[in-house]
Amino acid sequence: MEALEYFFRQLSISDLAVVLFFIGLYGAMTQRSIIKTIMSIGIMDVAAITFFMMSNFEQGARSPVTGTPPEQMADPVPQALMITAIVIGVSVVAMCLAMYMRVVFRYGTADWNILIRRLED
Amino acid sequence: MENLLVPLHMLVLLPVGIGALTFFLPRKAYQAVMLLGSLFVTAAAVQLFITVRWGSEIIQFVAGWPEVVAIKLVADGISAPLVLLAAVFFTSAYIFSTRAGHMDKTFVFLFLMLESALFGIFLSGDLFNIYVVMELSMITIAILIMYKQEKQSVYDAMLYILMNFIAMAFMVMGIAYMYRLTGVLDLMVIEQRLAELPDPRAAVLPYSMIFTAVAVKAAMLPLFSWLPRAHGAPSAPSIVSAVLSGIQVKAGVYLLVRLSIVFSPVIDAQMLFLVLGFLTSVAGFLLAIAQKDIKLILAYHTISQVGLIIMGLNLGSDVAFWGGMYHIINHALFKGLLFLTAGVIIDTYGVRSVKEIRGVFRSMPVIGIAALAGVLGITGAPFFNGSISKYFIQEGIQGNWAEAGLYLINFGTILSFVKYSTILFGSPPRHLQKPRKDPFITVISLAFGAAIFSGGIFGSQAVSLVFGPQYSAAGAMGIEKISIFAATLALGVLVYRYGVLRIEGVLSGVRNFKYNFNQITVLISLFFVLLLGYSYITMG
Repeated sequence: MEALEYFFRQLSISDLAVVLFFIGLYGAMTQRSIIKTIMSIGIMDVAAITFFMMSNFEQGARSPVTGTPPEQMADPVPQALMITAIVIGVSVVAMCLAMYMRVVFRYGTADWNILIRRLED
Repeated sequence: MENLLVPLHMLVLLPVGIGALTFFLPRKAYQAVMLLGSLFVTAAAVQLFITVRWGSEIIQFVAGWPEVVAIKLVADGISAPLVLLAAVFFTSAYIFSTRAGHMDKTFVFLFLMLESALFGIFLSGDLFNIYVVMELSMITIAILIMYKQEKQSVYDAMLYILMNFIAMAFMVMGIAYMYRLTGVLDLMVIEQRLAELPDPRAAVLPYSMIFTAVAVKAAMLPLFSWLPRAHGAPSAPSIVSAVLSGIQVKAGVYLLVRLSIVFSPVIDAQMLFLVLGFLTSVAGFLLAIAQKDIKLILAYHTISQVGLIIMGLNLGSDVAFWGGMYHIINHALFKGLLFLTAGVIIDTYGVRSVKEIRGVFRSMPVIGIAALAGVLGITGAPFFNGSISKYFIQEGIQGNWAEAGLYLINFGTILSFVKYSTILFGSPPRHLQKPRKDPFITVISLAFGAAIFSGGIFGSQAVSLVFGPQYSAAGAMGIEKISIFAATLALGVLVYRYGVLRIEGVLSGVRNFKYNFNQITVLISLFFVLLLGYSYITMG
């Protein structure tokens, strides 16, 4: 029991992000509903972003803005880059949802297996 | 850098800038401005290519930040020719469809945005920047595929974007690992720091993640389900199919080369990619033979040719490497031409099935001749450019098992294009209306056809002009090669006549077989595990 507690205590956010990434991948492999697939892939994307954010993490570092002494600053690169990645992720998910609406209206199903049988060609 | 017409970052921004600017112009003016802008971009790309080819490679740090911190743009001996190819290709495709009905402002804007994104992929020397422009091209392509929203194009686009979204999630994860490991994103610095790693095994995980993403982009064996749907989508304008097959899929192959060089100090997976390239190629032509939609035949055949290019690039011999690079250009020329002419043929005949289209030669002589040049190029007929690059690739593997594989791929190519070229012969249906006269289509198709032919006649000169190294291509035009081609062609016709035509049941089974999305995701995961295992084991 103590060993388990020790194991959980030393888990970092990065480890959880990796687990979350593969949970998302599992969801994309198993869920037949399109909307759940989109959610799973969104989870993968967010997990990857979290993982990137936590790289070069230092306990007690302060935000990299003017006024902070350079030696106390957190690494600014992951934060700057991940803002871009978050924006990209949001727009891709938005586009996927828009396409999802189209497909559902057109074929009347949100299930990959049924959908594939209703395609025109 | 001082003597460049436009600096590299401006070259990337220029097409999308032109697109945004002309958005506000009145309908009459925008086509002229767009054309001038495209020509200017082409001129800039030509000048960039000349500077790099006969000068030295150009490295530019965006916004004047020091190395390692700045976003780096690199134009070297591999990327400059591809930028030139993309610029010329986009401009000619644009001129080709000047009079097409779908060329409205939004479409042209997206089209130019795709050009910008591809320039970005070719010129980026920074891992994260590559990720951003890949996402940009992904979104743009998804919109272009479903632009007309006919039939199942929205489904095709959704499959494309979801598959690539998974790939890009892998890519971000891989970049994050890479950043942890090395602390930089600049490709050249990553390469140096990887060589100094205390334990090279740490690079295995980021390597597999990044290469899973790149393999999806390059449409390698189990991961190509998106490609025929995207490239051959019934509703996508043929100019989109041409650009996707001609240039965009090469961006994946280019990244494969670039990133293999970056990881070369620690991981060498050439053998794996050679085998995968061969399998991709075989699977591509087998599926192409089964199709009956002419655009889908071409789309599946792109997979086969990409497999061949990957084989050439990973053989580990110089002549095969440059043969593969030359095949990238050649494939852009003939597949682009074939898709553009296929679009015209479909518009005129109003049907897409290879069985219903007959007599293109008689109804549209110019298109027929151009399509024939494309077919001869892609099958590697002597005196056409495909024969030169295939000859170079073959030079690199003499006496290897892969040489037999190359003959097999050649045979498959010929077989599937025997099927395709049945649309050229015979007599056209009587009710066919007279096609519109369009000088733009005529000029561009003949120019592409001429480029294919001269790329074959002056094969070795073309390679040394574009890339630098000198190889003799005399063997490609020898008696031996010509007779081998004639024999393969005869065999192809016979097999088509007495084999392929009689197994329609099997073919329709193959044609109707589709993976659903969950199976595709499983394949991506399996590919990831395969790469992980392979690179871990070969590291020893």
